[in-house]
Amino acid sequence: MSVENTVAADTFTEPPLIKGNQTFASVTEIISSIVEKKPKKAWFVLFGLASSLVMILLGSIGFLVWEGIGVWGVNNPVGWGWAITNFVFWVGIGHAGTLISAVLYIFRQKWRTSINRFAEAMTIFAVICALIFPGVHVGRVWVAYYMFPIPNQMAIWPNFRSPLLWDIFAVGTYFSVSLMFWYTGLIPDLATLRDRAKTVLRKRVLGLFSLGWRGGNKQWKHYELAYLLLAGLSTPLVLSVHSVVSTDFATSIIPGWHSTIFPPYFVAGAIFSGFAMVMTLAIIARKIYNLEDIITLKHLERMNMVIMVTGMMVGYAYSMEFFIAWYSGNEYETFTFLNRAFGPYAWAYWIMISCNVLIPQLFWSKKIRTSIPLMFVISIFVNIGMWFERFVITVTSLANDFLPSSWDYFSPTFWDVSLLIGSFGLFFTLFLLFIRYLPMISITEIKGVLPQADPHYYENHA
Amino acid sequence: MKAGKVEGVIAEFENPAALIKAAEQLRDSGYKKFDCHSPFPIHGMDQAMGEKRSILGWIVGPVAFIMVLAGFLFEGWTSTIAYPLVISGKPLFSYQAYGAVAFALMVLTSALVSLVGMLAINKLPRFHHPVFYSERFNRATDDGFFVSVEAQDERFKEEDTAEFLKSIGGREVELLVAND
Amino acid sequence: MNFDATTYRVSDVKPVMTKALGAGILGLLLTFAGYFLKSDQFFFSYLVAYLFWVSLALGALFLVLLFHLTGTTWGIVLRRILETVIMVLPYLAIFFIPILLGMHHLYHWSHADVMANDPILSRKAGYLNITFFTIRTLVYFAVWYYIAKKLYKTSLEMDNGATPEQVKTLKKVSAPGMILFALTTTFASFDWIMSLYPHWYSTIFGLYFFSGGLVGMLAFLTWFGLYLRKKGLLKDVITVEHYHDLAKMIFGFIIFWGYMGFSQYLLIWYANIPEETVFYLARWQGSWPVITMTIVFGHFVIPFVALLPRSAKRNLKFLSILSLFVLIMHWIDIFWLVMPVLHKSGIRFCILDLTSFFGIGGFFMWLFWKQFSKHPLTPVGDPRFKESLNYKNL
Repeated sequence: MSVENTVAADTFTEPPLIKGNQTFASVTEIISSIVEKKPKKAWFVLFGLASSLVMILLGSIGFLVWEGIGVWGVNNPVGWGWAITNFVFWVGIGHAGTLISAVLYIFRQKWRTSINRFAEAMTIFAVICALIFPGVHVGRVWVAYYMFPIPNQMAIWPNFRSPLLWDIFAVGTYFSVSLMFWYTGLIPDLATLRDRAKTVLRKRVLGLFSLGWRGGNKQWKHYELAYLLLAGLSTPLVLSVHSVVSTDFATSIIPGWHSTIFPPYFVAGAIFSGFAMVMTLAIIARKIYNLEDIITLKHLERMNMVIMVTGMMVGYAYSMEFFIAWYSGNEYETFTFLNRAFGPYAWAYWIMISCNVLIPQLFWSKKIRTSIPLMFVISIFVNIGMWFERFVITVTSLANDFLPSSWDYFSPTFWDVSLLIGSFGLFFTLFLLFIRYLPMISITEIKGVLPQADPHYYENHA
Repeated sequence: MKAGKVEGVIAEFENPAALIKAAEQLRDSGYKKFDCHSPFPIHGMDQAMGEKRSILGWIVGPVAFIMVLAGFLFEGWTSTIAYPLVISGKPLFSYQAYGAVAFALMVLTSALVSLVGMLAINKLPRFHHPVFYSERFNRATDDGFFVSVEAQDERFKEEDTAEFLKSIGGREVELLVAND
Repeated sequence: MNFDATTYRVSDVKPVMTKALGAGILGLLLTFAGYFLKSDQFFFSYLVAYLFWVSLALGALFLVLLFHLTGTTWGIVLRRILETVIMVLPYLAIFFIPILLGMHHLYHWSHADVMANDPILSRKAGYLNITFFTIRTLVYFAVWYYIAKKLYKTSLEMDNGATPEQVKTLKKVSAPGMILFALTTTFASFDWIMSLYPHWYSTIFGLYFFSGGLVGMLAFLTWFGLYLRKKGLLKDVITVEHYHDLAKMIFGFIIFWGYMGFSQYLLIWYANIPEETVFYLARWQGSWPVITMTIVFGHFVIPFVALLPRSAKRNLKFLSILSLFVLIMHWIDIFWLVMPVLHKSGIRFCILDLTSFFGIGGFFMWLFWKQFSKHPLTPVGDPRFKESLNYKNL
């Protein structure tokens, strides 16, 4: 028996991550030229659309603050309607960015380099969208600072035993740390743009933000460790954020909310929905900016696999909840779950099940996994399904709780819809600004995964 | 800075492998204040330059430990001494509920220290540096691989160092002359 | 033991096998003798030991599936050890017989009259009954046997040069295998442990049991690899780089386990519903807090802090001690899950805990060595074997 299976080994070599025999210079050129050239027409059209939705958002917020949250469809007993649904939905979207940039970094998954930058940007923008909803939900927005532990003349302090307060800290930290992580990654790329800048203004602004980066190994050494530390901190953070969000529901005693699997279940769901959103955006950006060599089909296929796996984790949680609802022997638990599946909100429940559990199963087929139109459609389905998941959790448990006499049906109003649509507008506006002004793919990291970045490469190719 | 003063020397190398070899030779011939510039971090460069591991971890670690403790104590203090209020029948000192916030505070400060600490150790932001005197150096963030030796190095002698860099394969060896 | 570094085979394993078999026979004989003295104690001690070894084997099954699915390079050199463990797993079905015989001692719900007179339990009779319980257990083992066999056989075939088809087969088996693994392990934990309190329920329990077993297996793998190293086996195959990664995995899954444990505890503590809090209440009676806190610190805080520095993860001497410590903690975790059902007033250790541990463990290791010595100790034919051999951490 021979240890050296050289013949076999050749048939197993992985195809390169980045296609088109790129050089270091060509990578710089492809990515930086996007932000240096005048944007394409498509960009202006999309930006116009998105920013007009932002106007709707601002108008709706204004009216909401003026009139009060009664303009929503919330009623008694459904005190948490779309606002919380949207909050959880947006925070969840953000999770994929951190997963890609931090967790996959720690697991040395080199394929992350093509998608991590804009996934991180997506995280930040999604968290901004998320923060709007609890922000306006407090009713009296102008005293929102009460939520922070600031010494005050009344000598009162926030209740640290409340999961809603944990949310403030968890999501606030999540936003700040994601921003720092993103910026750390951007420093060398900003230096690249600085060194290519033609106008004085660009040179000054980019020079300022790239902090005088020189790319010396004495800098890289600390930079790499800082990046690793940030990744190491972000990994438990991303788990904790959606876990804390889940405790908003799970620490209560409401059937369908109080379930011990909630923290990991929410995290899996967040990654699932976030990856779907990355997918949606990546497919569009790749098409518009001709990035097929850098975001290859292989990358998209891997993301589809993550979607499939996390989709099944979510499916696992659904089935555990259902089984235990019966196994508990608790009438209220059993009722809540039967009511979800066959009650007044059955339509929402089955949208959720089909979009989250059934449709991603199509990815078992390699053909579908590698077909761009199909994966685009499926990613949209997952986005829809995950919004409905949060809707089902929030509303069904409240609408039909312990006292049948107080049951009521929740219907959204115009303002519920306009806020949701407006938040999408904000998300896309920020995203479009990002791809207009900042490198949407990490130039540095792409160079790092090219074969010629490895010093050993030159031993064989001399 | 006086115009015309030589503050160092810079040379360009072919590729990452050549840069590593150059670093090894500089290290072995006793140079200390030199740096290898590349558009991305190169594996094995720390060893080639004789650099130790970054100490950043030993700064962030204690900060994390202190902050998690501080967060915990702060939460305990507000809910037992500063503003004791029974809510949902939970004990005033409900340590079980303090984890989330203490953890968030720990992560927030540690991340901040990681970023700021990294910049501080690297002495950034620093917008003025001898290497920027070289026009070619623009390519260090694109596809250029450079070695720079600072004039402060004990072994630095304009001619000798430039010759040495040439002898180990450096191209376009250039003196960094202050021009402002 | 003799090791041939060119074929990666081991010979003369008689001494270690005799020792294992001796421990197994002696341990089980003493344990069975205990049945005649204290029958309840016997069954509970046996269940603890049994769950410990089964959970390790399940951890191994998960790791093999994970390695195939993710195409992990560094883990390849370790895979044969795991593959041998999962081949021992089906044999553990035989060791389940005493548990079936002791149903009435262990599981409150196995008494038909209790079930009929309890308004809540009577609803669960369709699931919690001896026939269905036995069938389910058989199904779990059948599934595990099928997956293990398929993975092990294909891996052995690859020893003489691999084909792309074989690599594909491994992936193809692993994907549905992982789903089956998740479901069977979850329901096994519900059946074997959660139903010890037939009223109590927790949706996260399957994940808690699984993560504990995984931590245990990683610790076992580290300890066993270092044991082989001491005997001069696979010295240049499993290098410090691989141990570094194992240590990272232990670190990561210690956190994962803690996350599961804390999620369950926090939510039950917070909601404070009596039907759920019974579980923790029982573990806070008498002297039980000592064990509870031992787990919090020993199974989480200490290994977490100890494994933080990079130097600790690369110190083999330290790792061999730590892995043993984590293994002991895993046993205590299982003990903590099971024993408060029997000893309500406080901790009571019994010599049977020890004898049953060595009894099942002895047979476990005997079966392991029997299988392990038949083939190369590492998957030499894997197409990425060399890559795994030369693997380096950043």
